[in-house]
Amino acid sequence: MFLRILKKDLKRKKTMNIILVLFVILATMFVSSGLNNVITVSNGTDYYLDKAGIGDYIVITRGENSIGALDDMLSTEKAVKDYRMENVVFGAQDNLSSSDGKKIVLKNMLLIQEYKDTGITYFGHDNEKLPDLQEGHCYITGSFFKKNDMKTGDKLYLEMENVKLELIIDGNGKDALLGSDFMGNTRILISSEDMNKLTSDEKINKYYLGQVCNIDTDDNEAVNSAVSKCSNVSFSDGRSTVKLGYVMDLIVAFITLILSVCLMIVSFVVLKFTITLSIVEEFREIGVMKAIGISNVKIRSLYLGKYLLLAIAGSAVGLIASFPFGKLLINSVSENMVLGNSYGKWPNIIGAVLVVVTIILFAYISTNKVKKVTPLDAIRSGQTGERYSKKTRLKLKNSKASVPSFMAVNDVLSSPKRYFTIVIAFAFCTLFVLILANTVNTMKSERLIGTFSSKADAYVDKISISIDCMVKDKEEILEYLDDTAADIEAMGYPCKAFMDFQYKYPIIADGKEYSISLSQGRNTTMDMYEITEGSIPQSKYEIAITKTVSDIMDVVIGDTVTIDYGTEKIDCTVVAYFESMNNLGKLIRIHEDAPTDPSYISSALQLQIIFTDNPSDEEIHNRIEKLKDYFKTDKIQTATEYQIECLSVVPTMEAVQYLLLAITLIVVILVTILMERSFVSDEKGDIAIMKAIGFKDRKIILWQVLRFGIVAFAAVILAGILSIPITHLCITPIFGMMGATHINYVIDPLKIFLLFPGIIVLLTVVVTFLTSLCTKSIKASDTASIE
Amino acid sequence: MAIIEAKNLCKTYVVDKRQNNVLKNINLKVSKGEMVAIMGPSGSGKSTLLYSISGMDRPTSGEVIFDSKDLTKLTEAELTDVRLDKMGFIFQQMFMMKNLTILDNIMLPAVESKKSNASRAEKQARAEELMRKLDIIEVADNDINEVSGGQLQRACIARSMMNSPEIIFADEPTGALNRQSSIEVMDELCKLNNEGTTIMMITHDSKVAARCSRVLYIVDGQIEGEYKTPKDLVNEKDRERALNNWLMDLGW
Repeated sequence: MFLRILKKDLKRKKTMNIILVLFVILATMFVSSGLNNVITVSNGTDYYLDKAGIGDYIVITRGENSIGALDDMLSTEKAVKDYRMENVVFGAQDNLSSSDGKKIVLKNMLLIQEYKDTGITYFGHDNEKLPDLQEGHCYITGSFFKKNDMKTGDKLYLEMENVKLELIIDGNGKDALLGSDFMGNTRILISSEDMNKLTSDEKINKYYLGQVCNIDTDDNEAVNSAVSKCSNVSFSDGRSTVKLGYVMDLIVAFITLILSVCLMIVSFVVLKFTITLSIVEEFREIGVMKAIGISNVKIRSLYLGKYLLLAIAGSAVGLIASFPFGKLLINSVSENMVLGNSYGKWPNIIGAVLVVVTIILFAYISTNKVKKVTPLDAIRSGQTGERYSKKTRLKLKNSKASVPSFMAVNDVLSSPKRYFTIVIAFAFCTLFVLILANTVNTMKSERLIGTFSSKADAYVDKISISIDCMVKDKEEILEYLDDTAADIEAMGYPCKAFMDFQYKYPIIADGKEYSISLSQGRNTTMDMYEITEGSIPQSKYEIAITKTVSDIMDVVIGDTVTIDYGTEKIDCTVVAYFESMNNLGKLIRIHEDAPTDPSYISSALQLQIIFTDNPSDEEIHNRIEKLKDYFKTDKIQTATEYQIECLSVVPTMEAVQYLLLAITLIVVILVTILMERSFVSDEKGDIAIMKAIGFKDRKIILWQVLRFGIVAFAAVILAGILSIPITHLCITPIFGMMGATHINYVIDPLKIFLLFPGIIVLLTVVVTFLTSLCTKSIKASDTASIE
Repeated sequence: MAIIEAKNLCKTYVVDKRQNNVLKNINLKVSKGEMVAIMGPSGSGKSTLLYSISGMDRPTSGEVIFDSKDLTKLTEAELTDVRLDKMGFIFQQMFMMKNLTILDNIMLPAVESKKSNASRAEKQARAEELMRKLDIIEVADNDINEVSGGQLQRACIARSMMNSPEIIFADEPTGALNRQSSIEVMDELCKLNNEGTTIMMITHDSKVAARCSRVLYIVDGQIEGEYKTPKDLVNEKDRERALNNWLMDLGW
């Protein structure tokens, strides 16, 4: 008997049941794949780094005499348990060209090295270790293929000083140490024969060599302290920093999880609404069942049975779909990493079971209403005549609006709980789109430039400039910068040229030694850099630190640290905090007068140019084009372009933003159809009576459309307003992991309050219109059959 | 003069590939100012006739002439206009919009109609006047579930009167009411009829039918008999007795 009732119910409410199943499918897809992906990605970073043989502490040396710079430390420091050393040649994109003469684009510095077993393990696209190389062949790591539209088998020309190599690319390798978006370095792995040719060049041997050392240790602090005494150190940090480099890859996975939770909440909200509505609608059946003596438990089990059936059907399909869907979502991450987890398909299955259990629990709570329906409801058509609060909120007599508009507003105000459900569902989905839009807008603006460098009009990224400047002393650098500015001024563009350098010196705080990069500008003034607290350093005795450094060294403004410049030890007072996403926030800013020496330079940042005649943005672009000829490089960027490149994740975030928008629109479509169908079914009597007294179809459709329009409008406005504080709340911690917490977000009102909300409201209106066309089938004569 | 005329009206429903002829060649004329009751056993086609003749439902064949127009030939939009401006409807179950007050429900057809240039305040005044006449003004601002069945049905009558229709169709207007409310509602309908409004209603109650000027008795989709209330019978009980006798002759 119950089965027959169930079968009839499933048939009678086909559309609503189908939409409910769709929600369950979507929720399961997201929860199952999200769960698996998060386990994979969060454990995956360690899994990948272990598999590749990344050490507990990594040191990169570079420049003249860099080979062997670590040898003493490695042999004497007791904390060093083992290490893997790779000799590399540092290059840049200018050293590479393709067979069709196309310029090669690289994000950061290029590392060329021999492919042999002594270093870390590199993996191919199939996640297997790369096979050995022949002379004239190479592997390339990172996102080189994607950025340069190249593939396996293509030819690549490497030209450095007097050496020219023609290399056939054997494949794209995965580099666990430098391959993350944040590290962003490309490596070319070549044969020992080709490496010999390269290092046989005297100039390369002298200036371009370096070493990458992976150290196994249980005492990072001791190694850090020992490394701080070594020269030529370009990078030194623990494995956690390498791991943090994959933070952006994790973001995609976490967004998927948040999305899953969001969709699950929306599904449950919709489910609650549907169950409640169907119980209210079926008061007569429930009342009759009660009148003939069927217990509450049995009546509830009828509904629970129905929802269990829908949940199992939906979850089964969702579970199957979660495997390819999860793979699709994680593709962007797995391109860069070797991922895996030891749980197999279990996270997906657990996710699906979780959805079924939650739906049933939810349905159980919602069917509590069955208890309230009495046999009298069946007899008195659901009206007990008792109500102690007024339902109607507005009065037509006081309104000047047309009947459809009045009824739309009045409906929303009369049943706020019912419409609040939709507002929350829509607002929730919209909110995520807007948060991501705010984040992407900020990343694409110039707002974060201060966390990478001081703001300039043009950033010249040319390896030869960096390498030349890294061996110059202060006066020589200043002279070079002045000469460059004079040359550019001669072209008619008055300007100032400057550069930032990073040094590695031992730093002592509270008796402990640290190896933290120091940043110093040349031809700059300290007021060109942003600080977040304190006062600008005025002399070599004052420094600014990041909050990250403050936490590492346990020093605050007013404390003193000692910097050992080799020639002299200077006690410096911390006078300011600043924010930097360089080195994930592990940076100290020193005054221009600090006695630095070129041999301690770990890296030279881009040559920066500020035009002193305040040209327009368009003029800056024109000038950059002219400067490309002068510097003989294509890589001259504006501040925005430079920031986007530094953040590297902007295109992924943009793609995720559109993915989110698409999913939101799907949710909006499904919720709208489901709700509108429910409303029409609930209001069949009202619609019939309106038709009977002379209302045309279009007026009834307009009433329905306006009502949903109001609700969608309220939802997007709510989401727009909430998006600003919630962006700060959710996204700032992510930037914080990279070293910046004072984020002045770019809120584009056009996008936040017009474009995205407009799309959502428009879609709601269109879908409501199409769904409400079903009211045409309700006739005036249906008044005869209204229950 | 006939205000509405049905010619060879047929209505057929197809259920499970079986034809069910609910109305079979009905011919009927209702004159202006008449008050006609339709009676008959359950399933005889009373409601189908009322809905077909009022343009709420489309007959399978035949004509319905109202205001010199064949309603069966009108589009849905044209029919809607006719219902709004020229017809009034009262239903047994007193259907009203759930989210509107009694007064707003009554005003609704007038607000929607473009028949007159009256302002909304004037329309409100008319609604209140009708409510006063029907003795329900005190529930004007109440929700529909805050009033009694009799008050609600009188509100439905007021709503049907808002646009001063030429004819009112009522489907068992007293069917859901107690005797006292029933009498009150019929008093109001008779008053309307006396003021010149044509009324056509379905009823199972011979007391109600006895107050009409003519009674049609339908059986199996056909008009089995027609009874004209003798004008000389002034006493209500006499009218009812005469009608009952006639009905019994027809097998009621």
